[in-house]
Order: sequence, then C-alpha cells, then structure tokens
Amino acid sequence: MIDPIITARGVDIFYDTNQAIFDVDLDILPNKVTAFIGPSGCGKSTFLRAINRMNDLIPICRVTGEMKIAGQDIYDPAVDVVALRAQVGMVFQKPNPFPKSIFENVAYGLKIHKITESKTELQDRVEWSLRSAGLWAEVADRLDQPGNSLSGGQQQRLCIARAIAVKPKVILMDEPCSALDPIATAVVEELIDNLRKDYTIVIVTHSMQQAARVSQRTAFFHLGTLVEFGDTKSIFTNPADERTQNYITGRIG
Amino acid sequence: MEHEHIVKKFDKNLEKIKATIVEMGELVGIQVNDATAVLSSYDAAEVERITSYDRIINGLNKDIHDRAEILIVRRQPMALDLRKTLAPINISGELERIGDHAKSTAKRAHIIHNAPPEAATLDMIAQMSVIAQAMLDNVIIAYENADIDLAASVRAQDKDVDALYKQTVQTVIETLSKTPENAESLIHITLIARNFERIGDHICNIARYVHQIVTGEDLKASAGPSDLRLEK
Repeated sequence: MIDPIITARGVDIFYDTNQAIFDVDLDILPNKVTAFIGPSGCGKSTFLRAINRMNDLIPICRVTGEMKIAGQDIYDPAVDVVALRAQVGMVFQKPNPFPKSIFENVAYGLKIHKITESKTELQDRVEWSLRSAGLWAEVADRLDQPGNSLSGGQQQRLCIARAIAVKPKVILMDEPCSALDPIATAVVEELIDNLRKDYTIVIVTHSMQQAARVSQRTAFFHLGTLVEFGDTKSIFTNPADERTQNYITGRIG
Repeated sequence: MEHEHIVKKFDKNLEKIKATIVEMGELVGIQVNDATAVLSSYDAAEVERITSYDRIINGLNKDIHDRAEILIVRRQPMALDLRKTLAPINISGELERIGDHAKSTAKRAHIIHNAPPEAATLDMIAQMSVIAQAMLDNVIIAYENADIDLAASVRAQDKDVDALYKQTVQTVIETLSKTPENAESLIHITLIARNFERIGDHICNIARYVHQIVTGEDLKASAGPSDLRLEK
C-alpha cells in the first residue's frame, strides 16, 4: 500500500456564506495523475486551488478541515505560503507567461526561492526544465525572446517548465489544454504522462476523454460534494454512482 | 430508471442499434426453425431459400458495425453507453454464426432425406432445436429489456442442449454398427447435432453480453487477464 501524498479530511470551503465544498475526504497517491471532473460550478477548481492555498487570494474564501501534503498541515498558520507554492506548482487554463524572456520565465522561481547558487547552475536548471517540458528544442536558440511570442501550446509548456523548475512535489493543472488545439493538447498530454514519473499531478478537466487518457485516478465532484473517487478505468467503464454515470454519459440526472 | 441523453439523437442512435439486433435475432430464429423443418420435409427450393437468409443477416451485421462505428466517432460513448455500443458488435457476430450453423444444417437435409437414419436421432435433433429456439427468443427479449435474470435462465438451459448432443452422439455410435449402410447420414446427424450444440453456446455468449451491458461485469473475465485495461 502506497502512502498518499495529499490527504484531505472533512474539507469544507466557503465563499462568504455560500458553501462550495462539503466535507470532502480525499487521498491522492504519489506519481499518479488524478483527474477532477464534474459540471461547471461543482467545486472541482475550488478544491484544486485549496491544495496550494491559491484561495488565500480571495478574501471571502474560507477553508476548514484538514489538508495535508506529505504529512504537513498546509493550513497551519506557521506555513510559509510562498514556500508551499514552490512545493505545489500550478498551471492554469490560459497560458500566463510573465512579460519576460523565455529564459527569465523559467529562471524567475529559481531566483526568488534562491534555489541555484551560480549563473551556470541557473542556466543548467533552466535548460533541464525546458527539456523536461519538451520545449528545449523549440526555444534553445531564442531564450531571450519574450515568452508571449510563443504559440499557445508552447506557452503552456513554458508555464509547465516554470512550475517544474523549482522541483515541486505536486503539480496542479486547471484545465491546462482547454485553450489548445488537438495537436498541442496531445503534446501536453504526452508531457503529463512523462512528468508523473517524478511528480504527482492533479488535473481539472472538462474533457472526459482527456481524463480517461491521462489519469490513473478520477474524482467526480457534483454540487460541492465528492460523489465518486476511484480508478479511472472503473469510473469511465462502470461507475458505481448513478450521478457519475449520468454525467459522463451526457444524461440529464 | 435510466435517464435520457441531453443529445436526443444519442438515444435514437442507440435505439436503432438495439432494434437492428432484435430484427437480426428474429430472422436467425426463423432460419433455425426452417432449417429444422426441412430436415423432416425435404425440399430443395426451401433449402435454397434458407441458405439465402445469409445475405440479409450479413447485411444486418454490417449495418450494426457501421452504426456502432459512427456512434463511437460522433459521441465517444462512456460506461453504460460504451457497453451498449460495443456489445451489439459481438452479439451480431454471435447471431451471424448461429445463422451459419442453421445454413449448414439445411444443406445436409438432402443426405438425411436420401438415407433416413434412425428416427430417434432425428427426434433428438428436433428437441435440441426446440430448446435452442426458445433460448434464442428469450435471449433477445432479455437483451431488449435488459433482463439479467432471464439471461441467466437462458445460460442455464444450455446444459439441456449439451446433454442431448452427447446423447445423439452416443446413439449414432450404437446405430453405426447395426446399420452401417446409414453411415453417411449418421455422420451428418452428428454434424447437425454439433451445429445445435454450437448454437446453444453462441446464445450463451449473447446472454453473457446482456449481463455485461447491464452490470458492467464480464462473466468471462475470470478466464484470464485482459491486456486491454487502461494503463496503470
């Protein structure tokens, strides 16, 4: 039995007086891709953002219950949120490179967290990150050009390179391919599969086919509750809960 | 209670596949019935007619494959829908094989007619046919109504067909020494009995697919590991 890397117990999330997540218990296993699926407004992105305290940025958002990463309660007041986000990286729906060069986009986190000690080490780590993100061959000769000069798919891989540069434990992805064409999507999906050897990945996706392709575990959220969580194969071939069945087959529940 | 799809055409597409299987099942049932009848009242034209069912059945089989293929491309069916789409491909294959056995039976009628074997053997064939036709009717009803209890009772009936097959073979062996001049027709009786034994097996396979559509459980899964599971 493998110990989970992320454990959530009795997690409730509120936006002011509105409750978005109800009493969620969830164990996420290391080196697996876990997909969160569910209709818009079901709370899956809210729950994802709670894993690296991205919700702290929303003043009316309140998280209760227990959320641990590698045994540490991330909502402990003593936790340094900036350090936490280096451990738990995030890739967003819309590629959001900084208005800086390709090199600086990847080097940024390394500099602010003072991870590398010399210029050579920094360059090496940037190259390693870009290689890991499958982008090196496409940008090696133009590292000084602006990040936003790249295509959408390349920008998203740049954001993934930026996230992995600081060697996080977990990478959260919030619909990372929804703005990409099928080819760029395939490249990112291939990358996700390669990355899971070294990282734990949690991905929110509206594409059931994508969840079935990239993940090993799938969680179905509905109206703020975790309805069903299990092996991806079971969820998509023979779900236990009727609500899951209705959702994945496009039926009116 | 099963809910409707948001996309109404999805339901219509699945219904059409189902209706085609039912149509095919009924046609194969008629073919089995007629093939059995022609054994006792031989008519060359009737054999020809029974044989010609083949073309229609193969056409329906292709129709089901085409419909399932286009549904997969258009709708990417999941879970229950996936099973409802994939199972008919297999079920129509089983029905097509049953049709082949009926055809093979009808084509042997002239040999039986020219040298009638021991009446007991023909009686056993007739009994096998009655059971197989009832099984076929019921399995199609079970498929139509997603009735797994009826599908289970169909599977249970197959042992009666198997017992009659063994009994027929035994009778043929005993009769061969008494009436060696009937050897040819007795061998064909054995092959006809074998056809019905196989028909029973194909019907059982259909009953398993019905069970799988409804429950997601593959009754044959214990036979060995599948290498088609999604990668871990």
